[in-house]
Formats: sequence, C-alpha cells, structure tokens
Amino acid sequence: MALLETRKLNKRFGGLQVTADVDFVLEPGELHCLIGPNGAGKSTLFRLILGEYQPTSGQIFYDNSDITQLEPHDRIRRGISVKFQVPGIFKALSVRQNLEIALQHHLEGLSLREEIERHLDFLNLVADAGQPAGNLSHGQKQWLEIGMATSLRPKLLLLDEPTAGMSPEETYATGEMVRALQTEGMTVVAVEHDMNFVRQVASRVTVLHFGRIFAQGSIDEIMADVRVAEIYLGHGHGAERHA
Amino acid sequence: MFDAVVGFLYQFGDASAFLVLCASGLAIIFGMMGVINLAHGEFIMAGAYMTVTVAKLGAPLPLAIACGALFAGFIGILLERLVIRHLYGRPLDTIVATWGISLIASQGTLILLGPSLADISTPLGSVQIGSLSYSVYRFVLMATAAAILAGLYLLFNFTRFGVLARATIQVPDMAEALGVNTRLIYSLTFGIGAALAGATGGLYAPTMTLVPTMGAQFITEAFVTVVTGGGDVFVGTAPAGVILGFIRAAMTTWQGQLAGQIGLLIAVIIVIRVLPRGISGLILRERT
Amino acid sequence: MSRRSLFLRLASRLEGPQTLGRGRRFWIGAAIVLALTAAYPLVTDSYTVGNTVYFFNWVFMALGLCVIWGYGGALSFGQTAFFGIAGYAYGVITLNWGADYGLTLWATLAAVALSAIVAAVLGYFLFFGRIRGVFLGIVTLAVTLVLERFMAQTAGPEWHIGSARLNGFNGMNGMPNLTIPWPGDDGPLVLAPDLPLYYFVLALLVIVYLALRILVNSSFGNVLVAIRENPERATMLGYDVRKYQLAAFVIGSSLAGLSGVLYTSWGQYITPSSMGITAAALPIVWVAVGGRSDLTATLLGTILLIGGFQALTVYGSQYALVAMGVLLVVTVLLAPEGLIMALAFLPGRLFRARARETA
Repeated sequence: MALLETRKLNKRFGGLQVTADVDFVLEPGELHCLIGPNGAGKSTLFRLILGEYQPTSGQIFYDNSDITQLEPHDRIRRGISVKFQVPGIFKALSVRQNLEIALQHHLEGLSLREEIERHLDFLNLVADAGQPAGNLSHGQKQWLEIGMATSLRPKLLLLDEPTAGMSPEETYATGEMVRALQTEGMTVVAVEHDMNFVRQVASRVTVLHFGRIFAQGSIDEIMADVRVAEIYLGHGHGAERHA
Repeated sequence: MFDAVVGFLYQFGDASAFLVLCASGLAIIFGMMGVINLAHGEFIMAGAYMTVTVAKLGAPLPLAIACGALFAGFIGILLERLVIRHLYGRPLDTIVATWGISLIASQGTLILLGPSLADISTPLGSVQIGSLSYSVYRFVLMATAAAILAGLYLLFNFTRFGVLARATIQVPDMAEALGVNTRLIYSLTFGIGAALAGATGGLYAPTMTLVPTMGAQFITEAFVTVVTGGGDVFVGTAPAGVILGFIRAAMTTWQGQLAGQIGLLIAVIIVIRVLPRGISGLILRERT
Repeated sequence: MSRRSLFLRLASRLEGPQTLGRGRRFWIGAAIVLALTAAYPLVTDSYTVGNTVYFFNWVFMALGLCVIWGYGGALSFGQTAFFGIAGYAYGVITLNWGADYGLTLWATLAAVALSAIVAAVLGYFLFFGRIRGVFLGIVTLAVTLVLERFMAQTAGPEWHIGSARLNGFNGMNGMPNLTIPWPGDDGPLVLAPDLPLYYFVLALLVIVYLALRILVNSSFGNVLVAIRENPERATMLGYDVRKYQLAAFVIGSSLAGLSGVLYTSWGQYITPSSMGITAAALPIVWVAVGGRSDLTATLLGTILLIGGFQALTVYGSQYALVAMGVLLVVTVLLAPEGLIMALAFLPGRLFRARARETA
C-alpha cells in the first residue's frame, strides 16, 4: 500500500500551470529523488503535499487517508516532515533552543533534555549549542534543519535540495545520513540537482518537466534516457506547455 | 426628491474626492513602496500651512497650493533620506518611526506656531441646484481629484521617470544592475507621495480650520482607502475611493458624521479579511 | 505528579532563554528593588503614593503588549480597546449594583473576562483569517477607533446600561473604588488611591510579572518566539500557529483589560479618549522604547517613560509628546531592540570592544 499518492494533482497560478496532472505514487521505505530543470515544479509539488498550497484540482492521499483538505500542521503531526531549500531554522534562537522546539512536541522534562543532547552530539553541534543558530556555517545550518526535521520521527521526509551549497565531502556525508534514515524506516523524497547525490541514495527517480511527470525509473534508466538530457539542455519539447 | 438625489450625489462626489485626494499620496508610498507612513497627515498639514501662508502674502490660490505641495514634497525627500531609507524591509519599525515623526511634527508645530493659523475663506461661492445651494469649490475639488489620478497615470506609465520608478520598486536589483540610481528613485517617489499629500492639504485648506493636529482627520480615511484599494494606485485606490465614498455618504446621510466614520472603519476591517490584497488584487487576480 | 515538584518545575521556568536576568545577583537585586518599592510610601506623601499607583496601573497593559508583540511578533494597536471595554464594563457593573459584598472584585473579574472573550472573538477573526503584519495593526487600530467613536456619540440619555449612562465624550464617572470586604466593625476596605491600594496593585504586579516569566520560558513561550522568528518553520514542526497567536493575544489583551479596570477604579472615571488614537500609541511607545522582547525591560521602561512624560507634561503636554516622538525615532534607528535593552547590553559591548583592542 502506497505511503503517499497524488491523483491528478493540478496547480495553476493565474495563467501559469505549475503542476499538471501529477499522479505520483510513493511506496513505504523508498528513497526517491525528484529531478528536473529549474521551474519544473518540484518545490511546488512539495508545498502541495505539505498543504502550503491548495491544489487547483486533484487529491493527495497519505497513509490511506485523503489529506487534501488538511491543514499543514495537521499533516506534520501525521508524520510528514520537511527540510526546505533555504535553511528554515530559528536564526535568532540558540541551537539548543531550535532542537528543543522541535523535540518538545513529544518529549518533556528529563527525556527532552537527554534527547536534545543526543541530537547535538549526532549533529556535531555540541560546541555551538549556545550560539544563535544564525551564526552557524551554511552546512551546519542545513544539518541542524535536517536534525530538527527528523527529530519528529516522521514516516515521510521531504528534503528540498538538502545538499545545496555543500562541499563534496558534506554532500557525501549527507547522502550517507539519508541512507541511514531509510534503514530506520523513513521514506524519503528529495529534490536534488546534484547527480552524484542522486546516484548515492536514490532507489527511484522521477523527472518533472513543466509541471508534469516526464519520466520515472531507476537512476541508470533516467541517465540513459536521451529525452531527459534534452530537456535539461533546453531543446526538449517533452510536454506541451499549457497556457 | 430631486433635491435628495442631488444632495446625495453631491455628498458622494465630495466624499469620494476627499478619499481619493488624501489617499493618492499614501497609495504611492504604501501601495508602491510598501512603506507605512503614519506621518502622512502631517504632510497634509504642512501643505495646508504653507498654502495659507503663501496665499496670505497675496499669491493666487493655485500658486499657493503648488507651493504647499512643493514644500511637502521637499520635506518628504528629506525624511526619506534621514529616516525612511534605513527602514526598508522593516514594516513594523517603519510604523513606529513614522508615528514618532508625526508626533514631532504636529506637536512641534503646536509649540512653534500656536494652536491655530488664521485661515482663508473658501473661494468661488456657491451655486443653486434645485432648492439647495452647493459650494462651487467642492465641485472643483472633485474635478481636481480626477485630474490628479489622470496625471499620475500619465506620469507612471508614459514618462521615463515613471517607468523607471515602477521597475525599481518591483525589482530593485535588476534596476540597479541596469544603472538606475535606485536611491534617487526612492527619494523622488517618496517625495511625489509627500507632495500629493501637501497638495491635498492645500486644496482643502480653504475649507477647514488650520490646527497642527488637522492631519489626524485625514490619516484614517487615507489608510482605509489605500488598504481597501490594494497595491495598485489606479485599479485600486480610485475604485476604493469611489466605493468608500459611497458608503461614507450613505452612512452620513442616514445616521450622521460619526456613523460615516464608523462605517468606513468597519469596511476596512471586512475588506482586510475578505480581500487581503484589496480591490486591485481582485481585479488583477494576483497569486493567492 | 506531586505538588512539590510542580512548584519546582514552575520555579525553574522563572529563568530561561526568553527573559533577561538570571542567577542569584539578579534575584537579589530584584528583591532589593521590591523592598525599596514597598518602603517608598513611608517616605512620601499620600498624593505621590496615589500617583505611583497610577503608573503601576499601566504596566499590565504594557506587559500584555510585550507578550503579543515582543514575544509573539504581532503588532496590535488594540490594547486600548480592551482597556476601554474592561473599564466601561467595570463602571457599568458597579454603578448598577454598588460595591458591597466584594462586588467590585467580581466586577473586576467579569470585566477582564469580557476583554478576554472579545479578544478571543477578534483574535479568531484575525489569526484564523491569516491576517498578519501591517494589516493586523490596521485592523486592531480600526477596532479601537470604532469603539472610541461609537462611545463618543453616546451622549444622549437613551444610551445607558441599567442605571449607568454611557455619557458620550464626557465618559462615565462616579463608580466606586475597589472595595475588599473586611470582617469587623470597620467595614469593607475601600481602596482609594492610597496605601492599601498601593500594596494591592504592587502585589498584583509582582504576581503577574512572575507568572509571565514562567509562561514565556515554558514550552508555550518557546513556540511563541519560534512563530515570531519563522512562522513557516513553526508550522512545519507541527504547531498550529493560529492557536498560539490567539492564546498570546487573549492573554495580552486581558492584561490590557486589567489595566483598564484598575485605572477606572483608581480615578473613578473612564472616557472614550482612553481608546483614541493618541492613547493607542502609548503602549506601543512604552514597549518599543523599553524593549519589547523582554518582560523586565518593558516593566522598567514603562515606569520610567510614564514618569518621564508626566514630568514633562508639567511644562505642557506638547513637549512630552515631542519627546515621545523623538524617543520613538531614535529608538528605531539606533536601538531597535529598545533603549533599556541597549543600555543593559552596553557595558557588555564596551567591555568586548575594549578586549578586542587590547588583544
């Protein structure tokens, strides 16, 4: 039974069709990557799943229930979590407090404090725990946010360009971490541009183009697909653009 | 019956003209630049005071009003350079700072120039329609409101400055990259907004008593109109002025002055809730 | 959970990331300030005592705005609306039914409860309607002004609730002071602006201050500042942002209502000008200039500013208002976190600057 399923999901902004007839199915335990040229609608799809945008038409099913009308915070409480492209942490608050806010959801007292320390240790942020989170390096901020997103113990984790701005070493470490999350039972969907990362983690890849699903398959199948190369290079005319 | 209809139309036109005039300057500053200027009423007061002072020196009224507008515009540019420019992107702080400026301006004027200024009389007398007489000057104001809207439209759509200003405000980095002096554009645009306020003050000066706190009468109506209208001056402020003018006139005719004011305030509360981007948002159907 | 550990848990929240001041030195200092404040009436005359109570009355409203704006990030101009609602409610109840049997205290509760209810309704409209930022300010200002203008035109005799006439511009007066029923021959204790009222309000202030410290340092406070910093991220951590903002708004507005009741019972009058545009600006000034993101800074800042303005008003209210305007502009440009806050951190900054030079 699919963990996440979108049926005929459409989103228009005025005259612009950003998401077109997307039937996206995600099995539990998958490590799925969403790729596609800029403007293909990848981030929009995330925002639709999260409930930040309401679809123009179509439905979203999560864990066997229709969540299309559900408020974002309710979807989070059901086990979806997200890490945004631009680090969405609380910059003026301390690193420790950032984690506390994430963890106090389901923990309190002594176990809360212990779990915060565990996370600080895991994220290598013990030394900076008292600093305002805005003072961290870019990579550290990304990791903190991933830490906060995973601390909710989600069933489905959405990562929007998790390795943006990271060095190759950091990217590899992030890839290993994502794979470790999968072995703990998390299903992960990541929007990515870095093909090395995609190759490192993905079991399946979906290519979006002009808001439609253009191609799906394993990373090797996708890399071998000539049409995919074309849409990246710009002479692809894959899906017709709806005005 | 005829009298009642004409009377209502007169009230309606008068209220709409008032709203459009006091809102136009604020619409540019808030609508286009996103700056909340709670000192808007004081720009109006400055224009009124300067207009009356110049008129008393013997100048004809239109010239005096122009002086009032220029004076207010000049102060606006000064203010933008000293204070406002440091607060772009900080709307709540802008509210607090401009409120402070409003206090300094109104109370400072009270200290320096006393509780009131000798006023000038309304020119042009009155005309008889049906069995009631109406002030001709008020009709002039209605015409002026329409003329100012037309002038703004021409300015922002057909002049080099206007197009540059709109570009700068919408995408400042791009404009800067293209060599536009964005700082100057911001100053001038703010100055134009202030000058419009000054003109409003000058235009209404012959019809009011001039006290340092006269700005307060304009600021609420101005904000209500701008917020109802939304971001665009032409597709927003103008229709908003007309619609709110209608509401104002209707409430006033039905229940009196205070009811008119209350009606406007309630209207803005409802509009913010129902049409978060105002009328222009509805018409232009922006991203929700 | 035993009562003892609940007390300890609450006490541990008196300090935390959301409030300045921690450790022995702070609390000893606070205790000294409290002791001096309690001793103050012994060295001054009755008028000054009554006047100081007048200052204290406003602090609740300022603390309320501090919670809504400083911690929650929502600029509400509506504090004076709730001030007025509660003030008039107290007046209506006590003018109709008198001050016996502790009725003034019940009236206080009822008036504050009314503020809370109205705040809940308005807050629902605002936050569940996703109204934010500037527009929140405009709507709350509009509400305050509507109330003011409405009350201002209630001059005729047909405007009354029971035997209490609303009285338009001139406002309602003659309502009784707070009266505490006291057993024995001396009869009930009437809290006129003098010693007993002073200690009553001071005690209230201490309780409210400590309670708010616990609140903002609790998990509720954590979420509130998270919402202020990054509402999207707070939502994505599973918090219903609207409910938290509504809760903060109701708490803050109720405190404004408390100020309203205390003011009305202190001076035995309430007028629509308490909800006018100048009145609406005052809490903004105190909180902005004092230091909106901290309770202690707001507390100290408010008392200093009100005292300062009162001193200036002697020369003429226009000078006080000009000074207020200057303070606002200077604060925003030079010390947006608040002047008191800036002064508190100044020694630290100077010290660090020196250390860098000598290093």
